[in-house]
Amino acid sequence: MRNLLKIACWEFKSRIRAQSFFFNTFVSPIIFTALIALPVFLFQYQPQIQTKLIGVIDLSGENLTSDLQDELNRYFHTDSRSPLYQILNVSPVNVTNYQNSLKELQEIEARRDSISALYNQIKSQRTFLYTNSQSANRDRQLVQSYEKMQLVREERELIEIELQRFKTVLDSVYKREAVKMADTLLISDNLDAYLVFNLDFARTGNVQYHSKNPGDFLEIERFERVLQGIITRHRILNDEIEPSKLRNWFRPIQIKKFQILQEGQKEWNFYIQLYGPLIAVFLLFMAVFSSSGYLFSSILQEKSNKVIEVLLSYASSAQIMGGKILGLGFLGLVQIFIWISITALIVKSGLFTNQEIDYLTLTNAFFFILYFCLGFLFYGAIFITFGSLSTNEYDTQQISQVLRMVAIFPALLSLMVLSDPESMLIRVLSYIPFLSPSFMIMRIPLSGALNKLDIILTIAIMVLSIIIVIIIAGKIFRTATLMQGKKVSISEVWRWLKHN
Amino acid sequence: MDKNLLEIKNLTKRFYDSLVVNDLSFKIKGGETFGLLGPNGAGKTTTMRMIMNIILPDEGEILFNGIDRQKTKGLHFGYLPEERGLYPRAKVLDMLVYFGTLNNLSHRKAEVEAIRYLDRLGMIEFTDSRIDHLSKGMQQKIQFIAAFLHDPDVLILDEPFAGLDPINQVVLREILEEYRANKKILLISTHQMEQAERLCDHICLINNARVILDGKMSEIKRKFRENAYYIESDSDLSFLHEIEEISILEENKTAYKFTMIDKEIPVSTFFSRLKGRAKIRKFEIVEPSLHDIFINLIQEKSKV
Repeated sequence: MRNLLKIACWEFKSRIRAQSFFFNTFVSPIIFTALIALPVFLFQYQPQIQTKLIGVIDLSGENLTSDLQDELNRYFHTDSRSPLYQILNVSPVNVTNYQNSLKELQEIEARRDSISALYNQIKSQRTFLYTNSQSANRDRQLVQSYEKMQLVREERELIEIELQRFKTVLDSVYKREAVKMADTLLISDNLDAYLVFNLDFARTGNVQYHSKNPGDFLEIERFERVLQGIITRHRILNDEIEPSKLRNWFRPIQIKKFQILQEGQKEWNFYIQLYGPLIAVFLLFMAVFSSSGYLFSSILQEKSNKVIEVLLSYASSAQIMGGKILGLGFLGLVQIFIWISITALIVKSGLFTNQEIDYLTLTNAFFFILYFCLGFLFYGAIFITFGSLSTNEYDTQQISQVLRMVAIFPALLSLMVLSDPESMLIRVLSYIPFLSPSFMIMRIPLSGALNKLDIILTIAIMVLSIIIVIIIAGKIFRTATLMQGKKVSISEVWRWLKHN
Repeated sequence: MDKNLLEIKNLTKRFYDSLVVNDLSFKIKGGETFGLLGPNGAGKTTTMRMIMNIILPDEGEILFNGIDRQKTKGLHFGYLPEERGLYPRAKVLDMLVYFGTLNNLSHRKAEVEAIRYLDRLGMIEFTDSRIDHLSKGMQQKIQFIAAFLHDPDVLILDEPFAGLDPINQVVLREILEEYRANKKILLISTHQMEQAERLCDHICLINNARVILDGKMSEIKRKFRENAYYIESDSDLSFLHEIEEISILEENKTAYKFTMIDKEIPVSTFFSRLKGRAKIRKFEIVEPSLHDIFINLIQEKSKV
C-alpha cells in the first residue's frame, strides 16, 4: 500500500510539472470553450447598434407601412432599446416621369369630368322636357337631345376606358420608378433592404425581399415571422371580420420557460442549461483522456527503457498499476478542481446571474466528482491494459481513438438527454459502463429530481465493471509489460487470462 | 545476522511450448559473489526475474534462508537490468530518492545515501540535472546507484561492467566488495569472462535451460587444470627439450608451457634437472581461463 502511494505520488509529481499538464488544464479548455461558445455568441449577439432602414413599396394601397413598423417595433430593438427597424415608404411621387404620367392622368380625368358634366346637363335638360309637355318643339328637342346624349355617353365610356388603361400604366410606372428608386437607395447603402407588396399580396402571400445579402437567415426569419402576422390579418380583414376582434386575436403571446424542481420552479435558459452539463461532459472527457494519455505514454516509456523491470523488482505489478491509476486520477481531479475554481471565479465576477447557473450546486458537484472518479478508474484500467499490450505509440493512438469515440457518444445525444433525461433509451444507455459516467453527469443536473434508483444502479454497475477490468488488467499487465517488441495476439491474451 | 542463503530448487519455467528454464538448482551463499553465466538465450534473465518475483516459476521453489520466496516479507532487491533505462525527464536526485523510498528508505535517508554514492562516483555536481542531459556513461552510474542505494538483501546485476571506463570499474568493484562483506546475496550475470573470473567466487554456467557447471571458482579451476606449468627465464631455455620427464605444449625462446608426462612424478624432479642451467624469472601452475572452460563446455554440449 505504501509503495502504491509512493508510485502514485511520483506519477503525480512528475506529470504536474510537465508542460503538457499546463496546456491541457489551461490552454485547451479555453480553446475548446471558445470553439463551442463563439458560433453561439456570434449568432446570438451580433452587435445591433444601428437602426436598419427598410424600404417598403406598397402597391396594394392598404397602408402597410405603419402596420409593419408597429409589428417590428414590438419585437426588435437595438441595444439602446430604440427600434431596430425603421420603415421608409418608397414612393416616386416626385419623380418627373411619374409626375408627367400623373399630369396626363389628371388631364384625362378632367376631360372625363367635363364630359360627365355635359352628360349630366343633357340628362337634366331631358328631364325638364319630359316634365314640361307644353314646351314648343318638344318632340324635336327630345330627339335632338337623345342623339347628343348618345354621343356624349359613348365619348364618356371611351374616356372611362382610357382612364382605366392609363391608371394601369401609372401603376406600372409607379412600381418601376419605385423599384428604381429603392435600388438606388440600396446600392448607395441608404437602405438595408426593401420589401415589395403587390396588389394581391394578401391572397398570394408573396412578398419580395430585396437586399444586398439575401442569405441573412436571421433577418429573413424575422421578416417572415412579422409578415406572416400582417398578411394573416389582412386576409382575415378581407373576410370582413371586425377589426377589434382581430386585434384581440393577434395579441402577442410570450412563453416563459420553467423547470419543475422539488424545491420549486425556476426559470429556464436553454443555452446555459444545455451547455453547462455538456461542457461538464467535455471536461470529464478531456480530463480522462489527457490523464489516460499520460498513462499510456508512461507505461510505454517504462516498457521501452526497461524501468518497468526495475520497478517490478521493487514493487508488485498490482502496486505499480494501482499507483499509476491513482496518481494520474488524482492529477485529473486537480485539473477538475482547477476548472471548478475558475468557474467559481467567473460566477463570482458576475458574468452570469446566479439564477442562470444555479445547477452549480454542491450536490451536482459531488456527483460530478463521483462519476469522474468512477469513469477515470474504469477508463484508466482499460488504458493501462492496452498500454501494457501495445508496443508503440501508434498502437496506443488507435486504441485511444476508439475509446474516445465511445466516450464522446453521450455528448452527441445531449439534445435527447435535454428533452427528456429520464427517457427509457437514455436510462438504458446509462447502464452501459462505457457511457454511464457521461450520461449521468448530464442527467443529474438536467433531470432536476434525482433518480435515486438509477444513481445507485449505475454506481453499482461502474464499481463492478471497474473490479472486473482491474482484475483482467492485473493479469495482463505483468506478463505484457515484460514482453518486448512483439505484437500480442488476442489468443495469447486469452491464454494469459486463463493461465494466470 | 547469520549467513544468508538463497536456494533455487528444481526451477522450471515454460513460455507456451518452449522450456526456458529446466529443473534448475543452485545455491547462493551470502558473502560470495555468484556469477550466473551462459550464452544468449540460456535462461539467465528468466531465472533472475523469477528470483525477483517478477514472474512466477511453473515448478520448483526459491527459498530465502529456508523460507519460500513468496512468503518472505520485506525482502529488498536491487536490480540492474542489462538494457539500462531511467526516467529521461526526471532529475537525478529525485529519481534516486523515489527508487530508495520504494524500498522502504525514509525520504531523508534515501537522499543522504544517494548523495553519498553520487559523490563516490564523482557525480555530485549532477545532482539536480535532468537524466536525459547526462552522457550514457553517467546514466549508467546513476542506474548503479539506483540498484544498491537502499542496501538490498539481494543484489542482481546484469552485465554490470559493460560500457564502464576502467576507473569507474574499480570504484564499482570496491562498492561490490563492501556489499559482499555484509554477507548479502550478490548475483552477477555476464558474458565477460575475465570480469567474472576476477570477481566471482562461485559460478554457475547454464546452457539450454540447464545447469552444466556449478561450483566454487577455485574448485572449477582445479577441476579443469591440465597439470600444465609455465616457466619463464631471461636466458635461452631450449635445453628443456632434453628433459625426458616433461612434454612441451607451447614454446618460445625464453618461455615454455609443459606438463609432466607421468603425473605421479612431483614437480621437484623437474627443478632438480634444471639446477644451475638457467636463471628462472617466473614459474607458475597454468590455470585454465574461464573463457576457455566456457567455450569448451558449451561447444562440447552442443556437439552431444
